[in-house]
Amino acid sequence: MTSVLFRTVLIANRGEIALRVIGTCRRLGIGTVAIFSDVDAAAPHVLAADDAVRVEDYLDIDAVVAAAISAGAEAVHPGYGFLSERAAFAAAVAEAGLTLIGPSAQVMEQMGRKDAAREIAVAAGVPVVPHYEFGAGEDVGFPMLVKAAAGGGGKGMRVVRRAEDLDEAIAAARREAASAFGDDTMLLEKYVEHGRHIEVQVLADDHGHVIHLFERDCSTQRRHQKVIEEAPGPTVDADLRRRLTSSAVDLARHVGYTNAGTIEFLLDTETGEHYFLEMNTRLQVEHPVTEAICATPTGATIDLVEQQLRIAAGEPLGLEQDDLQIQGHAIEARIYAEDAFGGFLPQAGTADLVRWPADARVDSALESGQVVSTSYDPMLGKIIVHGPDRESARRALIAALDDTAILGITTNTGFLRGLLAADEFRDLRIDTGWLDSADIAAPDRGLPRVLGAWVVALLAADGHRDAFGADGFRLGGPAVPTRVRLDEEVLVDLSAGEVSVDGAVHRVRQLSADQHVLVAEVDGRRVTATVHARPSVVEVSYQGQRHVFTPPDRAAGAQVVGDGSLTAPMPGTVLEVRVEVGAQVTAGDVLGTMEAMKMELSLTAPFDGTVEQVGAAAGDQVAMGHVLFEVAGESPGSAGESLSHRS
Amino acid sequence: MPEATPSQTMTGLVADLRERLATVRRGGTDSSRERHLARGKLLPRDRVDRLLDPGSPFLEIAPLAATGMYDGAVPGSGIITGIGRIEGRLCVVVANDATVKGGTYYPMTVKKHLRAQTIALQNHLPCVYLVDSGGAFLPMQAEVFPDREHFGRIFFNQAQMSARRIPQIAAVMGSCTAGGAYVPAMSDESVIVRDQGTIFLGGPPLVKAATGEVVTAEDLGGGEVHARLSGVVDHLAEDDAHALDIVRSIVDTLPRAEADPDRIPVEPALDPAGVGEVVPIDGRTPYDVREVIRRLVDGSQLHEFKALYGDTLVCGFAHIHGHQVAIVANNGILFSESALKGTHFIELANQRGVPLLFLQNIAGFMVGREYENQGIAKHGAKLVTAVATSVVPKLTVVIGGSFGAGNYGMCGRAYDPRFLWIWPNARTSVMGGEQAASVLATVRRDGIEGRGEEWSAADEDAFKAPIREQFDEQGVAYYSTARLWDDGIIEPADTRRVLGMALQVVNTPAPTQTPQSFGVFRM
Repeated sequence: MTSVLFRTVLIANRGEIALRVIGTCRRLGIGTVAIFSDVDAAAPHVLAADDAVRVEDYLDIDAVVAAAISAGAEAVHPGYGFLSERAAFAAAVAEAGLTLIGPSAQVMEQMGRKDAAREIAVAAGVPVVPHYEFGAGEDVGFPMLVKAAAGGGGKGMRVVRRAEDLDEAIAAARREAASAFGDDTMLLEKYVEHGRHIEVQVLADDHGHVIHLFERDCSTQRRHQKVIEEAPGPTVDADLRRRLTSSAVDLARHVGYTNAGTIEFLLDTETGEHYFLEMNTRLQVEHPVTEAICATPTGATIDLVEQQLRIAAGEPLGLEQDDLQIQGHAIEARIYAEDAFGGFLPQAGTADLVRWPADARVDSALESGQVVSTSYDPMLGKIIVHGPDRESARRALIAALDDTAILGITTNTGFLRGLLAADEFRDLRIDTGWLDSADIAAPDRGLPRVLGAWVVALLAADGHRDAFGADGFRLGGPAVPTRVRLDEEVLVDLSAGEVSVDGAVHRVRQLSADQHVLVAEVDGRRVTATVHARPSVVEVSYQGQRHVFTPPDRAAGAQVVGDGSLTAPMPGTVLEVRVEVGAQVTAGDVLGTMEAMKMELSLTAPFDGTVEQVGAAAGDQVAMGHVLFEVAGESPGSAGESLSHRS
Repeated sequence: MPEATPSQTMTGLVADLRERLATVRRGGTDSSRERHLARGKLLPRDRVDRLLDPGSPFLEIAPLAATGMYDGAVPGSGIITGIGRIEGRLCVVVANDATVKGGTYYPMTVKKHLRAQTIALQNHLPCVYLVDSGGAFLPMQAEVFPDREHFGRIFFNQAQMSARRIPQIAAVMGSCTAGGAYVPAMSDESVIVRDQGTIFLGGPPLVKAATGEVVTAEDLGGGEVHARLSGVVDHLAEDDAHALDIVRSIVDTLPRAEADPDRIPVEPALDPAGVGEVVPIDGRTPYDVREVIRRLVDGSQLHEFKALYGDTLVCGFAHIHGHQVAIVANNGILFSESALKGTHFIELANQRGVPLLFLQNIAGFMVGREYENQGIAKHGAKLVTAVATSVVPKLTVVIGGSFGAGNYGMCGRAYDPRFLWIWPNARTSVMGGEQAASVLATVRRDGIEGRGEEWSAADEDAFKAPIREQFDEQGVAYYSTARLWDDGIIEPADTRRVLGMALQVVNTPAPTQTPQSFGVFRM
């Protein structure tokens, strides 16, 4: 039908989005070039592309443009993040005679500056959060935000809820602003106490045609990081949708926007007012939920990357606004390499075992055996489900997260599952501040422990299929249960279907166990878990949460705990005494040295404490076993060997 | 036809058997079991269950021994014997039941113990003894002590089996008195539970009666004493469960009938490339050789032998590139204790057929009156003899100094290591240059002063300097390798790889040889 849009496209990105773009290019017969840094030399996006070029840094504009030229690419897809919203990059690509799959550098520049974008929005008739200079006589009402005009970083900013607090807040904010910015001009801004983050996807071609693809709700955020996104907005009615989408289209048209873009709004849940926040001049992470709900008359699904490529190639949009309809509901969950129940610390390591759900769209570049480093964004992938309505989509996503198992490193999957199952999320009682204060309980380890132990016992029994098979056989008596050591000791009786932990007995009926996946009925309840059992550690993924059970290494040799006496390990000469009686020492401090048989020995404090005795002076000849130092500590058991460096 | 009574049907008979077995399994009286548990000890059947692999069957031998004998006071004859799997290997287990008459040996106890040993001998099964026994039941000493198939035969069997390379392993989990003391002492490798296990030929009452000495059981023969001072046991455990874990880890070092499916070569947890960094170039600066070992062996895992005893020599089993290896590494001067420990460990390696690896960094044996009077030369000779007569392949890497008799005890070139490599920092000579110069200077000064002459310090220095120079020149790695005293100088970072290759070479089985009296001569 049509000729190829581009012969070759360079994808200036990595991870799932690079794979996502490569997939569409391949479908359209477009050649692909990946770029990679040293740690990504064998990453999935590199293997998936037709060609790949090494760059020192994904953010190196010159190197990326040079890579595109050397690989013979005609166009560059920036993905999201990295250089995707850098006007300088867009300019460099254009200057090199290549096509950027995105808007022009000029539009990018305009919309990239928050103050400029706000002015453009006002000019386009798009509502913005009203603010006025203090003293201008305008009333924004309460609650209001008092903030420094020159401000940033929360300095010189106050939330005021009552008129009587205003003067004091202004005075305080002024002082802060004056010292921080040297400018105490104050702005009063309407403060949206409870807001939802709603954004509208737009597509605009080079021929002046702009359409929207409805809205997404991304209110589930943690510290401004989106975690769960859905479409359409569950609290958006037809009237609000009309207002939101026309604002978005007006703005895009006003700035002469081309390609795919997203206009973000803050929706005041109390008033139903929407306010422009910013525009993202690129493809969004959460674009798949829009793809999932947009229905066309032909029944064809919309591929936003394909639309981007067509627009960039100069084709007119093949869609009319009236062609598009919302069909069902979609929700996306972002999987991050972070320990959500351990302070959200970023995680790194080898993802030994990765299982993605079969019944959901998964955009990910994570495979079993892959090393996850902290060098790049911790997002490992995203899971997108579509259902006839929000509740079925929500349940389907919970099921998909239950079917997701990432072992070897900890992810937020179990946390996401907890979020989706929370009543507040189900009942739409959340705003953008919810997640920062929500208390999602850490999943219980009891059931995963039972399932892990069961698999260990199963593997033990499987290991020897001879007459000495591990079934606990005893002459003329009941079989002995299999003793499984996890963090606690678990007794598993495979034949009786009983697992006891600390006296509590659980009934287990195994339904299937294959390829690391155990399906069983535990105390009458159907459960599925992914188990990776190794001699040193047993990992269980249950309801998306990774549980690690490490048996104590009991065979390790008895710890040599010093009693505070440092004795001469062999006969020799004391070279140096560094402490006096009464000196405070910390574990590892060198108290003195001695020489014996051509070796120099350091005598180090076994634990924190006080020197109570010094048994020799420099130059003394001492016999083996002679007490050189006596240290009294608070907890003699806490430190290691007193003479760890003995010769 | 009249109904058969339960005792006349097989079902009834089996029910009776089960009941009897269940009774015997309980062991001693409730009160003695409670006393046992109150001491923090595990009941003997729990010990056996924990010793065996999870879920392992236990083929119990003669569970109903002593039924109807001794007024029924000795259920199971106070000892549990049988065959089960430990770390994948079938083993004979012999466990005293201290809840039955203090675990003392009645005639049937001895007979059952010997029967278990016979099974082990006939089937070549390693023996694990869980010892918790007061020794012979004195009132019946005439029926347990003197005859051929009595108490003494237990130790005869241990010696015989050990000589036939059937491993003998003991865990001392309670009393181990008089003759009983020989069970761990005659074992190849042993464990004791701290504050619980005791080993002595005569207990405190006997000591007091014999010599008037008043001593506690712990000071006389407790875990600390035997693990640190006497060396009668090799491992000190914190409690019963720990002791059983150590026994399991010992069994895991024994040869296997079949390849271990779980044994996948893994990299050390600590970077092998950094091994050169942990060794100070100045040989005077001490360091812990375990830091070197951890960078050479799979998973950085070392099963250390006698960690608390003779600690200037580190001995232990490990794997390198999946090959099991018995490591002997210097961690200071060789003392009598370290020499004895090394000798014992080399015996274990030979018994288990594990290649030996010597990591040499040795200034020599300890000198001085105290040590010579103790007979350090004799103890050193044991180590040298063990090294010389080992039948397993030997590998040596000189990672520091190689001086004097230490070179012999640590498998220098004269002791036929299959391969000997040195690191660039290695120094090899009969003693250090400074020591040699001092020794020669002392001899000369004695001669000069004997003639009533004077020898100035300047003259002495002038005399010593060339000696030092000569030793320094001849001691360096390149002097050694030029003369093929070694098989090459290797980078520390390559050591793990080189050893992996060497182990693969030495482990390649030789084709079965039929003796031939001629070489191949061309026709």
